[in-house]
Amino acid sequence: MTTITSVRSAVTAQGLTKVYGTGDAAVHALRGIDVGFATEAFTAIMGPSGSGKSTLMHCLAGLDSVTDGHVSIGDIEITRLNDKRLTLLRRERVGFIFQAFNLLPTLTAEQNILLPLQIAGRQADQALFDRVIDTVGLRDRLRHKPSQLSGGQQQRVAVARALISKPQVIFADEPTGNLDSRSGAEVLAFLRTSVRELGQTIVMVTHDPVAASYADRVVFLRDGLLVREIEQPTPQTVLDTLVALEA
Amino acid sequence: MFRTTIMGLLAHRLRLVLTSLAIILGVGFIAGTFVLTDTIDAGFSQSFTAAADKIDVAVRSKDDPLPPSLLAKIGSVAGVKDAQPVVSGEAPLIGKDGKTVGELVTAGVSFPSYRLDVTSGKAPASDGEALVDTSTARTQGFRIGDTIGVLDQKNVRHDFRLVGTFDVGVDQSLAARGAVAYTPATAMRMTGATGYAEIDVTTAGPSRESLRTAVAAVAGSGAKVQTGEEVASDLAASNGASTEYLKVGLLMFGFIALLVAGLVIYNTFGILVAQRMRELALLRCIGATRRQVFGSIMLESAIVGLVSSILGLAAGLGMGWLAVFLLGTYQPDVEVPTGTVTLSPQTIVIGLATGLIMTVVAALLPARQATKVAPVAALRTQTEEHTFRAGVVRIVFAVLFGLAAAGLTYMGVTAKPDETALMTVMAGGVLAFFTVLILGPVVVTPLSGLAGWLPGRLFGVPGRLATENSRRNPKRSATTTIALTIGVTLMTFMAVLTATMRATADQELDSQFPADYRVAAQTGDIPHAVAEALRGHSELATVAEFREVDGKLDDEDYPIGTVTSSVLETAVRPKATSGSADGFKPGTVMIADYVAKQLKIKVGDDVRVGTAKNATPLRVVAILDSQSLLPSITVPEQFFDERFGKTDDNQILITAADGADLDKARAIVDNATQPYPAVKVASSTEIRGQFDEAINGILSVVTGLLGLAIVISLLGIANTLSLSVHERTRESALLRALGLKRGQLRGMLTVEALILGLVGALVGTVLGIVYGWAATTTISESVSFRLPVGQVALFIAASGLAGVLAAVLPARRAARTSIVGSLASD
Ligand SMILES: Nc1ncnc2c1ncn2[C@@H]1O[C@H](COP(=O)(O)OP(=O)(O)OP(=O)(O)O)[C@@H](O)[C@H]1O
Ligand SMILES: [Mg+2]
Repeated sequence: MTTITSVRSAVTAQGLTKVYGTGDAAVHALRGIDVGFATEAFTAIMGPSGSGKSTLMHCLAGLDSVTDGHVSIGDIEITRLNDKRLTLLRRERVGFIFQAFNLLPTLTAEQNILLPLQIAGRQADQALFDRVIDTVGLRDRLRHKPSQLSGGQQQRVAVARALISKPQVIFADEPTGNLDSRSGAEVLAFLRTSVRELGQTIVMVTHDPVAASYADRVVFLRDGLLVREIEQPTPQTVLDTLVALEA
Repeated sequence: MFRTTIMGLLAHRLRLVLTSLAIILGVGFIAGTFVLTDTIDAGFSQSFTAAADKIDVAVRSKDDPLPPSLLAKIGSVAGVKDAQPVVSGEAPLIGKDGKTVGELVTAGVSFPSYRLDVTSGKAPASDGEALVDTSTARTQGFRIGDTIGVLDQKNVRHDFRLVGTFDVGVDQSLAARGAVAYTPATAMRMTGATGYAEIDVTTAGPSRESLRTAVAAVAGSGAKVQTGEEVASDLAASNGASTEYLKVGLLMFGFIALLVAGLVIYNTFGILVAQRMRELALLRCIGATRRQVFGSIMLESAIVGLVSSILGLAAGLGMGWLAVFLLGTYQPDVEVPTGTVTLSPQTIVIGLATGLIMTVVAALLPARQATKVAPVAALRTQTEEHTFRAGVVRIVFAVLFGLAAAGLTYMGVTAKPDETALMTVMAGGVLAFFTVLILGPVVVTPLSGLAGWLPGRLFGVPGRLATENSRRNPKRSATTTIALTIGVTLMTFMAVLTATMRATADQELDSQFPADYRVAAQTGDIPHAVAEALRGHSELATVAEFREVDGKLDDEDYPIGTVTSSVLETAVRPKATSGSADGFKPGTVMIADYVAKQLKIKVGDDVRVGTAKNATPLRVVAILDSQSLLPSITVPEQFFDERFGKTDDNQILITAADGADLDKARAIVDNATQPYPAVKVASSTEIRGQFDEAINGILSVVTGLLGLAIVISLLGIANTLSLSVHERTRESALLRALGLKRGQLRGMLTVEALILGLVGALVGTVLGIVYGWAATTTISESVSFRLPVGQVALFIAASGLAGVLAAVLPARRAARTSIVGSLASD
């Protein structure tokens, strides 16, 4: 775990603790996590159900408050910001891809993609827009509403939306959880391409060893603690690590 | 199934609160109306019973007053303890300004009386003493010991020493007019009464029934003899009619409110069913039948309806109590006796029934919709968007209703102005409303676009998202806004109607006689000396004397009148429906249209005008509009003088000269009338002011009552929004994750409500203006239509603002919920 400091980090957490509830009902979802996510890298977070993956991601993205510890995105420590500053930070520096319900049903694919920029009052970079659209292959679907798109297409719209504002980091919580393996593979390929070609930083939570193998690095959680990590994963090494953790 | 329904209700009790509130307000208003009128009725009958309690037998005049000699005869009937006369007539009381008091002539009555109570001082004991009623004493500032002046039948002033004040009790007419009381003899002399209106008798022992028989034997056929109980029930019956008007009027607004509440409930259940599709489908999956699903929703509505109606009754009791309290506190001049406030069994039954039936009926369609849910819907993950396409049936119905509405309206507008035309137009209006109701979902989308254009531009992304949101479920938006439309339509309608009536009356007055002052006598006529005193002043341009006497037209009784001949060519411009006033010269006559219709007279006919003994044939040159100011049968002045003599004036209309000092002109008129207390001056601005005040009063009462419907429709907007917020929890969370600030999210919902409010108001004002116009065309041929632009703009702005208000709570809730929690929620 000492390797982290040598690479420039997009997101770092120190002593990150998250407790839900109080007293007897208290659930220690995160118990002091130190982790860094390198820029222009694709990192996967894995772990058994209930190990704290989603909680970690929400805390890293500033969607949820932390009980203790520090989180920084770039050089900004987000654990000190109030709601308004956090919102502005999310606008400028963070992209999201959720497992489901990523798109506003009233807007077309194109409007959904441009939504974060419009909220921030920024102009879309036309070249980037064209490149993203072509990368995710949505050119002929731009005028469609989400209800007219397949699940895979909807997720690709979500990926395009996350990419278009060139955020410092994209958080993805099981982005392929609802997709069949082919559509899932497509989406994962786009994510990896965007890291390689667009220099994007991505942190992805997943259950699927195959999905995790698209990443450059996988970190493993158990009971709210970071317990292992592997570089350059393959489906087999990920599966082996998971089995070893279960034991 | 029953358990599931109850559990479901309890789980969602918050979202039902607003629905219940709509029902509570509607039922509350209706129950409150009954409580109020019941209370007043009870109060009246209490006071009638109390008043009649002292009287054992009353002898009441039928046509002619009772001869004074009857009093002694009745007094000597065996078993009569005491008999008191009731004198009633006019007593033009002179106020502090030297003019007779009030609009109506003050009444003259006599003491002792079983009906009236002395509240301070004592009863009149001699000819020189008098009392006035408490309310008049207060408004005029009379104190015991003052000298008051009252005019007799010949308008001669008599002075009296004020020895006390009295309460007029239950007599509404005395309350409205005010009253002066003297001893019976003075009362007869002052009012010129030739007899008594009533003789009240008390018994020395015999039962009321037997005393009545004994008295009736003496009273003769010219009198009605009743026991005290009979008098009380007679009075109560004649008075019941007046509270009946109040009741019917208020109930009308109550039912409008209920209609709006029905729409709100319909919409709420519709949304609840739509949101619970998966839940319902799950129920179907695990074996619930369609019937059970239907029953469950109906049961839910019945429970909500019943509970809310019970609360509504409580609210009604409160509202009734408040109304009674306000009446007592702020209207002490209106003598309305009020009893204790209670809920009668009838009120309870009506309140519960209307509330329950309305709720259940409103839930019928949504419940039917719920039975259509396929069990498989439980398995679908993505919630479907409620796309709306105008079906053929909808279009066909809309066209049919639209055509019928247009047809009826056209018929009413083009028909001769009368009541049938008005009814036709109103029927057209109701059909037009139904057309809008049917077409609502079709028109709401473009209208939202229109209403959202500016907010979309002003508020950026949240504004545009709001516009989209307001259009995403056209059916829902349409029902939400139409509830508001009802109230706004009626308000606009009233505003247009009153503005037009005011303008028309002004114009009518201006065109026929642009008078600056009107001189009239409260009682009797205006002595000639007034007109003489007015003549010969350079400040006054015209002095038009109007005179009228009883006469004969073709052997029928009609008033015959004339007007100063010189002004006919200059100032008075009578409007003729046929013929022309230009040909009015000696030997001719002008006749009002209603008289012409009765006697089938047309221009060119010869009619006999004059007295029974002496009638002269005159040629009819013009049939006058009945709104013309001229006497119904107007003959040339010279002819009038020859036939009837130089009679006193009924009315004098005066115009000031161009550029004259108006203060001076007024002073001249005031001086000329100063010696005559009964002769009063009103300037045209005063007359218009009174008219405006009356119209404004009506308008504000109606607007206030319609306010209830508006409030209920706002509850509907709040309800729809909060249900939408609930439905879009994850969307809101997503937007927040993408960087939408809390304030922006709140703003988004606020704009959505603003749009809903504006759409409802836009449709309402258009309907209100169109039908306000249509209704005015049925009132008279020549209306000068006025659009109260300011008022209409105010309605629109207020509706938008109200929508914003309705959004406050739902928006706060939406902005508060945590992003993470909402994203996770299913
Ligand atoms: N709002 C909450 N209140 C209380 N406990 C919570 C809350 N959210 C999560 N938890 C608990 O925190 C722990 C971590 O939850 P988290 O959702 O992060 O797990 P996860 O690793 O994402 O699981 P999965 O793979 O099932 O999504 C779990 O024990 C969960 O029960
Ligand atoms: Mg999770």
